[in-house]
Amino acid sequence: MISAIHSINILLPFFYLLTLVVYFYDFIKGEKKLINIKRVFLFITLFLHLVYIVLRTVTFDHPPITNVFEIFTILAITISFSYFLVELVSDIRGTGPFIIVLSLIFQLISSLFIQDLVQVKDVLRSNLLGIHVISALLGYSGFTISAVYGFLYLVLYKDIKLNKFGLIFNRLPNLEVLERLSLYSALIGFIALTIGIVIGIIWLPMAFPKFSFLDPKLIGTGLVWLLYGIGITSKVVGQWRGKRLVLLSISGFVVAIISTILSNFLAQSFHSFY
Amino acid sequence: MNLLAISINHRTAPVELREALFLKEDEARSFIKLAKENLLKEGLILSTCNRTEIFGVPAGSELSHQKIQELLLRFKPAQNITEEHFQKYLSRDAVKHLFSVATGIDSLLVGDNQVFKQVKDSFQISEETDFAGYLMRRIFDSAIRAGKRAISETKISDGAVTVSYAAVQLTEKIFYNLSKKTALIIGAGETGEIAAKHLVGKGIGKLAVTNRTHEKAEKLAEELRAKVVSFSDFKEAIFNYDIIISATSSPEILISKDDVKKAIKKRNNQPFILMDIAVPRDIDPESKRLDYVFYHDLDSLNVIVEQNLTKRKAEIPKVEKIIEEELNNFWEWYNSLRAAPAIKDLRDLFEKIRNEEVGKNKNKFSSDDQEKLEIVTKRIINKILHHPTTELRKNDNESGSSEATTKIGIIRDLFGLGSKKDSDKE
Repeated sequence: MISAIHSINILLPFFYLLTLVVYFYDFIKGEKKLINIKRVFLFITLFLHLVYIVLRTVTFDHPPITNVFEIFTILAITISFSYFLVELVSDIRGTGPFIIVLSLIFQLISSLFIQDLVQVKDVLRSNLLGIHVISALLGYSGFTISAVYGFLYLVLYKDIKLNKFGLIFNRLPNLEVLERLSLYSALIGFIALTIGIVIGIIWLPMAFPKFSFLDPKLIGTGLVWLLYGIGITSKVVGQWRGKRLVLLSISGFVVAIISTILSNFLAQSFHSFY
Repeated sequence: MNLLAISINHRTAPVELREALFLKEDEARSFIKLAKENLLKEGLILSTCNRTEIFGVPAGSELSHQKIQELLLRFKPAQNITEEHFQKYLSRDAVKHLFSVATGIDSLLVGDNQVFKQVKDSFQISEETDFAGYLMRRIFDSAIRAGKRAISETKISDGAVTVSYAAVQLTEKIFYNLSKKTALIIGAGETGEIAAKHLVGKGIGKLAVTNRTHEKAEKLAEELRAKVVSFSDFKEAIFNYDIIISATSSPEILISKDDVKKAIKKRNNQPFILMDIAVPRDIDPESKRLDYVFYHDLDSLNVIVEQNLTKRKAEIPKVEKIIEEELNNFWEWYNSLRAAPAIKDLRDLFEKIRNEEVGKNKNKFSSDDQEKLEIVTKRIINKILHHPTTELRKNDNESGSSEATTKIGIIRDLFGLGSKKDSDKE
C-alpha cells in the first residue's frame, strides 16, 4: 500500500502538468473538439488524487490535514475540483490553465516534501479539528480561485482599455462574468473560513493550553477574514464593484499567503505543526 | 456539361458599373422571362450590391457567353461596360464558382454569410419562374450543402468584419447579458442604424435614439421600437445608458471628458461603454483615461475587424477543400447520368428482382417447368426494358444534352439507382 502511495505521489504532479498542457493547448487553439478531451484529463487527475488521499487516510490512520505539505495536497485537489464544477455548471472556457497551474504548484511542493506520518499528536485526531481544517481549506481555496478570476479580470480590463485584442481578449469570458466568478468564489470562501474560525475559537482553547488570540496565525487569518468581509459588504451595499472589488480580492489572497508563510515557517506559533 | 456563367462583381467592376447592372427582384423575374424566350432553358440569376451573375443552360446546342452578356445589356442598358468587366465560366468551373459564392470566399468581406441567403433567394425565384430545371436543382442543393458545411465546419464566418458589428461584439466582452443593459444611439444615419439593428439583434434591453433632426430619430425609433431622446438634452441623460454608440456627422466633439466624468459619477462607477464610430469623432478620446470607461473609436474597432478578416482568410483553404469535395460528389452524380452505366444499373436491378422472385417460387414448379420459368421471366424483363433502353441509347448519341441527363436522372430517381458513390456507400 505504501509503495502505491509513493508512486501516486510522484505521478500526481505529472498528471497535473499533463492536464495543464492540454488546457493551455486548448487556450491557444480554441478548438471545439478539445472541450471534452481536456475535461477527461482533469477528471482522471482528480480521480487519481482522490484515490491517493483515501489511501493515505487509511494507511496512516488520519486524514492528510496535519501539516503544511499534507494540506497543500488537499488544497491542490479542492482548487481543481472547484474549477471542474465551475466549468461543468457554467460552461465557461478559457480560465482553466490559470487555476490548474496553482494545483500543480501546491501538489509539486507537497509531493517533494510530504512524509509518511503514522504518528501524529493526539490533539490532531479530533473530529472538530477535521471540520476546522476542512472549512479553512475550503475558504482558502475559494479565495485562491477568487484571486485568479480577479487577476484575469484586471488583465482583460487593461487589454480592452488599451485596444489589445489578442488571445486573452478572444479566449476569456467577459468582464462581468469574471467579476461575478471572483465574487462568488470569495463569498463561498468567506462563509467556509467563517465556519473554520468559529470552530477554531471553540476548539483551540480546549485543545491547546498555550492558546492566545495574539498568535500570528490567528491575527493573519483575522486580517484576511476582515478584508474579504469589507469587500463583500461593500459589494452588497452597492458601493464597490469591478476593478476595486477584484483588487481587494487579490490583496486578501496576498495577505493570506504572507500570513501562512509567516505563521508556519517563521513565527513561533502554537498553531504550527510542522 | 453545357452550363454557362457570366459574372460582373467587386473584383471586375467598380461600384457604379455594378449598380448599373443590379437587378431588383421584379427585374430578375422579367429577365428570366426574356432569357427563357430567347436563350436559356434553365438557370439562376444572382444579383446583389457586389455582383450580378447569370448561370444558365442554353436551349440550343450553341454555347456562347457573349449572347448572355448581350441579352443582359439589352435588358439593362449601361454605359462604359466592356468585355473585361465580365468573368466567364463554363461547365465544372461554373459550378465551382457558384460554390465559392455560396460559401462566402468570393465575397468582398470574406465569409459574409448574407450571400448564402441571397443564393437561396435567387434559387427561389428560379423555382417560382420555372427556370430551375433538373440540373440546376442538383447544383443548388450541392451549393447549399457546401455553404452550410463552410459555416459549420470552418471559422469562415466567425467574428465581426464591420465596424458597427465589431462595436456591438466588443460590448459583449464587457457585459454578460445585453438584455439587462440600455443603449443610446447618437445619430440616426446609416451607420447608427446598422449599429442599432445589431444591438436589437443581440437582444439589448432598452434602446434609445437621438438625432439632430428629430423626425429622423423618431423614424428609426419607431422601426426598432426604441425611445427618442431630445438632441438638446441628451448629454444630461447619457448616465442612464450602459452603452453609447455615436455616429453623427458633427464637426465638433459632442461629449466632452467632463460630461463622461459626471456621468460615471452618477453611474456609481458602473462600466460605461462609449463607441465613437463617427468621423470626425463625437466623443472626447481623453475619456478613455477614466476608470470604468471603455472608449473605442474607429481605429480601435478596425483593429478587431482586420484581425477577424485575417482569421477568416486563413480559413479559405479549408473551405476550398469542402468545395472540392462537394464538386467531386456533384460530378460523380453528373457522370452517372450517362446512358451506358444507367442502362446497366437498370438491367442489374431488374435481374436482381427477377432472380429473387424466381428463387423464392421455383420449388412450386416441376424441374421441367423451372427451366421454362427462367426463360419466360427473362423474356418479360427484356420486353419491359426494351423501349427505355432504346430511348436512353438514342439520347446517348447527344451525350451531355440537358434532355438526356434529365431522362437518365429521372430514371435513376424513380428506380432508386443512385450514383456510383451512393451504391458504394450502401
